[in-house]
Amino acid sequence: MRRALIAAATLSALALTATACGSSGSGAGSTAAKNPGQVSGTITYWDTSDAKNEAPAYKALIKQFEAKYPKIKVQYQNVAFASVEAKFKSAAQSGKGAPDVVRTDVGLISEYASLGYAQKLDGTAALSDKGDFAPGAWGTTQYKGATYGIPQVTDTLGLLYNKALFKKAGIAKPPTTWDAFIADAKQLKARAGVDGTYLNPDPYFMLPFLFGEGADLADPAKKQITVNSPAAVKAATTAKKVADEASAKIDFANSYNNMQAMFKTGKVGMVIQGPWSTADDYSGSAFTDKANLGIAPVPAGSTGKGQAPTGGHDLVVYAGSKHLDASYLFTKFMTSSASEAFIAEKNGTLPGRTSAYTPTVLKQPSIAGFQAVLPTARARVALPQVGSLFTPLGQDYTKILQGQESPQAGLDHSAAEFKKLLPSDFTIAK
Amino acid sequence: MTARKRSRNSRGPGASAALHLTLAVASLCAVFPVLWLLYLSFGPSGAWASPGQVLSHGTLGNYADVLFRSDFPKWFLNTVIIAGGTTAVGVFLAATTGYAVSRMRFPGRRPLMWSFLITQMFPMIVLIVPLYRLMTDLGLLDSFPGMILVYSTISVPFCAWMLKGYFDTIPVSLDEAGQMDGLTPFGTFYRIVLPLARPGLAVTAFFNFMTAWAEVAYASQFLSADHFTLAVGIGTFAEAQRPDWALMTAAAVIITIPAAVVYLLVQRHMVSGLVAGGTKS
Amino acid sequence: MQRLRRSWERHWYAWAMVGPVVVVIAVLVLYPLLYGLFLSFTDANEANVAKNIGANHIPATFHLVGLHNYWQVLSGADGHFYPRLVWTIVWTVGCVAFTYGIGVGLAVLLNRPIRGKIFYRLALILPWAVPNFIGVYAWRLMLNGQYGVFNRIIGLVGIPGQAWLDGETAQKVAVIIVNVWLGVPFMVVALLGGLQSIPAELHEAGEMDGASPWQRFRSITLPSLRPVSSTVILLGTIWTFNMFNVIYLLLGQNTTGSTDILVTYGYNLVFNGVANYSMGSTYGIVVLLILLGFSIFYGRRQLKEEQL
Repeated sequence: MRRALIAAATLSALALTATACGSSGSGAGSTAAKNPGQVSGTITYWDTSDAKNEAPAYKALIKQFEAKYPKIKVQYQNVAFASVEAKFKSAAQSGKGAPDVVRTDVGLISEYASLGYAQKLDGTAALSDKGDFAPGAWGTTQYKGATYGIPQVTDTLGLLYNKALFKKAGIAKPPTTWDAFIADAKQLKARAGVDGTYLNPDPYFMLPFLFGEGADLADPAKKQITVNSPAAVKAATTAKKVADEASAKIDFANSYNNMQAMFKTGKVGMVIQGPWSTADDYSGSAFTDKANLGIAPVPAGSTGKGQAPTGGHDLVVYAGSKHLDASYLFTKFMTSSASEAFIAEKNGTLPGRTSAYTPTVLKQPSIAGFQAVLPTARARVALPQVGSLFTPLGQDYTKILQGQESPQAGLDHSAAEFKKLLPSDFTIAK
Repeated sequence: MTARKRSRNSRGPGASAALHLTLAVASLCAVFPVLWLLYLSFGPSGAWASPGQVLSHGTLGNYADVLFRSDFPKWFLNTVIIAGGTTAVGVFLAATTGYAVSRMRFPGRRPLMWSFLITQMFPMIVLIVPLYRLMTDLGLLDSFPGMILVYSTISVPFCAWMLKGYFDTIPVSLDEAGQMDGLTPFGTFYRIVLPLARPGLAVTAFFNFMTAWAEVAYASQFLSADHFTLAVGIGTFAEAQRPDWALMTAAAVIITIPAAVVYLLVQRHMVSGLVAGGTKS
Repeated sequence: MQRLRRSWERHWYAWAMVGPVVVVIAVLVLYPLLYGLFLSFTDANEANVAKNIGANHIPATFHLVGLHNYWQVLSGADGHFYPRLVWTIVWTVGCVAFTYGIGVGLAVLLNRPIRGKIFYRLALILPWAVPNFIGVYAWRLMLNGQYGVFNRIIGLVGIPGQAWLDGETAQKVAVIIVNVWLGVPFMVVALLGGLQSIPAELHEAGEMDGASPWQRFRSITLPSLRPVSSTVILLGTIWTFNMFNVIYLLLGQNTTGSTDILVTYGYNLVFNGVANYSMGSTYGIVVLLILLGFSIFYGRRQLKEEQL
């Protein structure tokens, strides 16, 4: 309780100071909105895209931005995705060395917002035409009713399958439930001689199982931990069944790479994967004909509705930025419909804006395929601690999949660990 | 002398073969992982999963990507500056300290040696955020001197300990002779003891160099893109979910080469330099 | 005062020589360490520490909680400490014992007159020249259960592929093997230095007495190596106890947590989600105390005054 109070106090103090400050002004009536051409300054942008394959497109966009706003200079820095969270938090906290704008995994928004690192963007020049964002992507930007990021790239998990192998096994269409998924996997094994799937044991990939049963990690509104609810246990039981009956043997230390390697060379028939992986798939022997890659929504659990988490990247403006106006303009530019369409064309990622799915963009089969899947995406639970929750959940999920713990025991243990990590007024739902 | 030689050489052919076999197997275990990385680095991106592709589709493309399609020259230069600086500063600090502790009985000597040991015991990684703030306050953040000092704190305690052992093996009578000739203790240290301690210094240099050369945790926290080191820079060659093994292997080889060169330069001194301290009984 | 001045006159050379090191270590290590000690008596986390966000200074709102964190850890209430401690000890003892054992064996062999000695020596010490995170990645590739080269090699002789990195036991064996691979070169070099300083007369005397090679190894070689051994074992223990890279990088994220040693567990506290600085620091201090206790105990028994 005390901790929650302190957090609340910190937050309100922050909100006060944030509105009071702003060396170059903030809010709707500022220069950025009234007279964008007059905004000047040098801002730093941390990009987390792949330096070899994706970064060139972002650099090209920045050139365009600087041409449009000659008084603003952008210092582009590519920071490894793996280290950006720790690096940004250290810098944001000390006030030195932090970027003005940072490309942020959507799962971190509530954490950054709650800690006061992310600037509230409602009513600023950064946010324009918000009705245009895909609902799943937009949902990731919200924390306690305010907006702390602007979607740049979105994604979700879907069912990717090898059409040729499906044909060989005599499967007409992709499975829509986990039961059908397991049955099809057995059929693939029997008739096509390949493993049905390669289950990724990462806890992020457990979310479709949970969502498909209507379960989630926690319910912030009711302040309840729900990870060991009967629905969640059912989800974990299904996942275990998939691992045992439908999946190739999982190498836990190399699962992601092995899953990709087996799928793209036609050694497994289907995987649960995101759009970021399709470029790699197309480089494999099984998908030299791009049309061979099928994309469908993730299978559903007993609710009959398949759902997967929304991923992707939002642009976050650092609350301590000395050039807020320039940062807003930059964020607005980088998340405009034209910019997102440009990025989609170059990198094959899914735009956060619906208007950016232009006919040219949709020519890419993976974008077209995943666009159809996007309506099944939903945001992860918006808790600042969500990043810490994945550690115990992942460990128990691994134990469940390896058969060291029953789904019930494993998730009970996760719930007990969540209790330690969440504010003390959270209770374990029974 | 001759008798000894014969007796120690009087190994049967069987024993000789066993000796060579053991050493050969051990050597293979030692070098195989390195050679395997080297081999994979010449393959296409899927080579880690099907190593046969290296032979059928061998390529220098990974090296081209790393060397010419990245900020490699900048990273390399940064790394050389930081590792070189750490070597210079680290050797200097370790040598002066090691000498003082070896030759002089001064108040604070034992606490100093113990605090060296203690610095090795605490996992500083958990304090990286306070350290970040400290670096900010000292104006050392995102700077070469800052990184050099941080790396020195990692390497110097061990090196000072090691060099102290080495200095112990150099007869004190030499120092005394020097002082008779009118040299100050600094002069004695610089003109007489240091030249004799070259093997120990070489190992110290190597150790300092290796500490700084491929460190990731501190470097990725404290440096901005302009000052990235190699080890941090190649981290950007990864998608959100996974490393690109083809580029990683090539980059690994490139990072390893300078370290291996330094190692070759000092390896002759390595054996005599490392533990001379333990030999004085 | 008088005494102080005399002391200064006598020792200023020494103090001047150690001065730079003392300043650097005090500022960059001891000060953060003391700050960590302070944090371990508080409930500080990322949400309640002081922050400078741009021009806004947000003061700290955490509280002193006394020994609460230590009680959480040492009473076993947090549920992690003792399991992690047991495995940390197994890991450390396992790694140091194998590294030392293999190191002594190879050093003794290398110390004999043998053709191609230079080649063997270069090869055996090579892993030292490879940055350790790279070495660990190489092993991760080689031990891959589906695509690793080890399974290919044993497949050639008809042995089915093994899951080298799956399951608790396999993972624990794997991390120890990799750490031994990283650690042996240092041991070989150190012990070789020790062996070369053993006077040949000792061995000759042993031979004259008709001692077998094994007897000579036990009664001459090992005792003569003792000073070197005690130093490298102490250092090896400290380094291995806090060895972070191997476990973290070899096994990746999808583990059961049972392969975490105290340091990797503490790292997770500080680096996952909203950082828990107080518990992270508490783990750090506890690790320090364990190692300090060990060093004092070990130092009394093994290290001569001369070496410390």
